[in-house]
Amino acid sequence: MKMRLSPQTLQILDAFLQDPTDWKYGYDLSRNTGLRSGTLYPILMRLADRKLLDTAWEAAEMGKPPRHLYRLTPDGLQFVREHRPSRSTEELTGPAWSEVKS
Amino acid sequence: MSAARRLASRLLLAVARHAPVECRDWANAMLRELDFIEGDWAALFWAMGSTTAIFRYSGCGLKAWFRKYSGYEEALTMKDLGKQIVGLLLGIAMAVALTFCALGILHLSLHLFPALEFGGVPWAAWLIVFAIPETIFIVGAVKLWQKKRPMALGILLSAIIFATHFVMHLVSHWNG
Repeated sequence: MKMRLSPQTLQILDAFLQDPTDWKYGYDLSRNTGLRSGTLYPILMRLADRKLLDTAWEAAEMGKPPRHLYRLTPDGLQFVREHRPSRSTEELTGPAWSEVKS
Repeated sequence: MSAARRLASRLLLAVARHAPVECRDWANAMLRELDFIEGDWAALFWAMGSTTAIFRYSGCGLKAWFRKYSGYEEALTMKDLGKQIVGLLLGIAMAVALTFCALGILHLSLHLFPALEFGGVPWAAWLIVFAIPETIFIVGAVKLWQKKRPMALGILLSAIIFATHFVMHLVSHWNG
């Protein structure tokens, strides 16, 4: 699958890799990666379009609006594992990667 | 609720309401996150970024639709468009430069050789400032049409404007 892996995309993939089975919120991803919504969401949309990302709505609770959740699909996980080692650690910047390293 | 947060909320509500169907889920997702952003200004920036993201996504959708239904596989990218505009402007610039050169030659020849006064009917002047440049424009545009069409279009556009100006000048100054 051809996809441009920008440093921002890699940051997001890293954030997902921290706990691949966990669902994540958009705002939490934004805080973990330091990316603004205008950068984060187009990447999430692209990943979802390519079936690399699962999206779901949180189960509604009383008085609490549901939130959108994101998680890598098995294909997404495989894609990340295939493409991730090809990058050296020096190429990656941002809080997500430094958290992974530490 | 502060004005910034109210604005952010209204902006995202409007986006969610008017977004194309395929984007509506995403717009709602961005709207829901707004409640969890602590700062009011951060919320406003979140809403603005989200709006941009939805516009970009809708734009991609429209482009894909256009490509699918028009069969036009090579839709113009911004880069191509930029190149075409530069080509067009270059064509216009070349035509303007040539016109000024022709005018310069005319003035210089009149200055250097005052005996060359063109008499009552300035055919020679018209030849220098109009006929020769127009011929060069048309020949140049024809030659460039296949390889550098935007530039040829720029030259042609200038030629038309120049010819119109020349005709209007003749009509307004013709006294018999």
